[in-house]
Amino acid sequence: MLMHYFDLAWRNIKLTPLISLLMVVAIGIGIGVTMTSLSVYHMMSADPIPQKSEQLYAVQLQTMDDGQTWNTSDDVPTQLTYIDAQYLMENSPVAKRAAMMKSGAAVHLDKADSAPFIEDVRITGRDFFSLFGLSFLHGEAWTQAQSDQAAPVAVISEDLAERLFQRSDVLGESIYLDERSYEVIGVTQSWQPTIKFYDVNNGPFQQAEHIFIPFSHIEAYQLHSWGNTNAWKNEETRSYAQFLNSEMIWLQFWVEINSQSQLKSYQQFLMDHMLEQQKLGRFNRKELDYNLKTVNEWLGYNQVIDPDNKILVGLSFMFLAVCLANILGMLLAKFLKRAPDAGVRRALGASKRQIFYQHLVEVALLGFLGSLVGILLAQLGLIGIRETMSIYVGIAKMDWVMLLISPVIAILACLLAGLFPAWVVCKTSPATHLKVQ
Amino acid sequence: MSEIKPILNTLMRSKAGALLLILQIAITLAIVSNAISIVSDRVDKLSEDTGYDEQGIIAFTVLTYNRNIDRAKQFKEDMAKLKEIDGVIEAMTVSSIPLSSSGGSWIVSDNPDEMLGKRVDSGYIQANYKVLSAFGLSLSEGRDFEAQDESEGGDGQFPSVTIVSRAVANKLFGEGKGLNEFIYSGDNMMKIVGIVETMKSQWPDSKMGDNVMLIPRERSSMYQRVIVKTEPSKRSKIMKLIEPLLLENERQRVIIGIKGLDEAKAQTYQRDTLMIRMLVALIVFLAIITALGIFGLTHFNISKRTKQIGTRRALGARKSAIFSYFLIENALVTVFGLVVGALAALYLGGQLMALYNIPALDWSMVFYTALTMLAMSLLSVYQPAKRAANISPSIATRSI
Repeated sequence: MLMHYFDLAWRNIKLTPLISLLMVVAIGIGIGVTMTSLSVYHMMSADPIPQKSEQLYAVQLQTMDDGQTWNTSDDVPTQLTYIDAQYLMENSPVAKRAAMMKSGAAVHLDKADSAPFIEDVRITGRDFFSLFGLSFLHGEAWTQAQSDQAAPVAVISEDLAERLFQRSDVLGESIYLDERSYEVIGVTQSWQPTIKFYDVNNGPFQQAEHIFIPFSHIEAYQLHSWGNTNAWKNEETRSYAQFLNSEMIWLQFWVEINSQSQLKSYQQFLMDHMLEQQKLGRFNRKELDYNLKTVNEWLGYNQVIDPDNKILVGLSFMFLAVCLANILGMLLAKFLKRAPDAGVRRALGASKRQIFYQHLVEVALLGFLGSLVGILLAQLGLIGIRETMSIYVGIAKMDWVMLLISPVIAILACLLAGLFPAWVVCKTSPATHLKVQ
Repeated sequence: MSEIKPILNTLMRSKAGALLLILQIAITLAIVSNAISIVSDRVDKLSEDTGYDEQGIIAFTVLTYNRNIDRAKQFKEDMAKLKEIDGVIEAMTVSSIPLSSSGGSWIVSDNPDEMLGKRVDSGYIQANYKVLSAFGLSLSEGRDFEAQDESEGGDGQFPSVTIVSRAVANKLFGEGKGLNEFIYSGDNMMKIVGIVETMKSQWPDSKMGDNVMLIPRERSSMYQRVIVKTEPSKRSKIMKLIEPLLLENERQRVIIGIKGLDEAKAQTYQRDTLMIRMLVALIVFLAIITALGIFGLTHFNISKRTKQIGTRRALGARKSAIFSYFLIENALVTVFGLVVGALAALYLGGQLMALYNIPALDWSMVFYTALTMLAMSLLSVYQPAKRAANISPSIATRSI
């Protein structure tokens, strides 16, 4: 029966090509506009690391004196001082943790034909890779001993390996970061989370780094952050040692916590650290405060989704409603014109219900065709977004969820619009139409 | 006007079509007027005067990765070489590039103890004493920097003078005041020797968008920003010469992001450009869809009423009467839709303002959008109404 309805629907669409085309275009435009903004929203709000987002926690400590404010909802700074980050790295009650920051360097091979280029560098602990699930193609992360000695070793991504050496197995090769030579000890598989959740300081949609070096290099080579370094206190920071010991806030910190009891002990650990530091004159506060936020809590806290995008999603759904009202009008016109047909079918024994379903099948078919146009338009829209905003390269695209959901939205919307016209047609009594003919 | 009553009667008899049109028009007005309001706000922001010679300035960054190079000496040579290029007016190192969303800021106060005085967040730009003219800024009060105001970077004495934007002076000392006053930041004390009316900071889009101060202190750091002021007509040609020239002087460095100041500004406002484009696309599509809807529905109404129209014509109605019937019918429905839409628009505007950082929707914006939509609606009904008017009276006598 359903196949018969599809056949009828297709015939009817061909019988009224112009109005059918208009409807398909109207649905197409509606779906195109909606899916364009919805896809961006979907990518912006998608969990960037679904397999572990509930185990990974961003660590924040309230280091500021009472009365100081920060641009977060609870006035807790989003980054840590070097003193705290260093301590949390070395005295952790949980296995996997990493302090980190973004820096950068001129990358080259110290050969005449190798023009240096700028790359961001992630300076972090050796747990970074296992924390965030990066897998190694060749080699592995640096050892604790290498980190302790600040050995000049680096892990790079396969993309960078290809760029520099035109192959991925480059273990043992040396690359230059600025004027220092590093031995490549690991090559990771390409890793590009949709949201750079582990460091949202310079925009959450920045690309992930391709070079990773040990955290101990910060002190050993006096490295500075290429991210944000903030101060809330007037301090003498002319020498690098003064800078490291200051209240400057410039490091991110992540831990993996796998159970409630681990969480408890980690919370205790943070409190103990702050109490200890209080004795040294830091944490001048009545109440000590810290945050442990899971990935998704962290992204919400940092307001990663652009409010402009929320506005656009809202407006596009209203736009879709206009398209629907439009289609409803056209369907009404189209179905009523064909009411005599339905009258004959009713007289020949078709039930109201069958007439109703037959028309809904036609509407659904229109919706499906419209969604194809819509997906095409949305692709154009997304290209436009990527052109306008280069940083959205990773998120202005349609994943398969959005691709599958487009026809669903289109068909549901059309069915909604088709209910009333189909009902009007099916309730017409056969007699009136038979008389006219 | 006597026609309105029968028109209303007809409308009441087939409510569905009219209701749909009203719904469409109302939502369209709500969306379009709010979208236009947002677009015009963003366009204003983009076209706001920044004070700088955006078309003449080239900005870029030099990363000198060899720490053994005497950078101060190197940059002196570089700047001299750059100034030899035909069309280059000035070249200097600066601590950050205005409008580029990146650079240094601090809190300044009118009191040595900032907790006791007024405080303001301000961007700062350190460069040599000719910075004002290099940026193409015009001084509105006080004097420009002189050579002896300048202090060398590094551990040298911090300069004791500054030129600030009007916004900084106003916030610390009150409207129109501030010249020759002293301001403090940390251990530094500076006298305001000049005030520039319009000068945007590195973050033109932020709360400190108008707050910026110039400090006469030449820099030559590892990661050093540079600006080159050119004759705008020769700028694109000069832009291509910079990298080869600098690398020829010294190879062990990387030149990053050579671009015009206008381009740097455009990048800062990328989000707004995107929003403008998306909303304009939305408005255009909506206009097309709604016009199509009105056109289609009138068409449908006419084909449904062909016989009635024929009868009216046979009974003596003139073509103009039929034409105006449809025009008035459409106008009635449209105006009703617009009234509902205006209320919806204001409600939506209020919601957007409450939820997001969107300026209030202006009544006049809704009014003008409604007027345009009325005109558009009448235009799209014109052809179908003309067709209706041309229905021959003889239709009425057929097939009854």
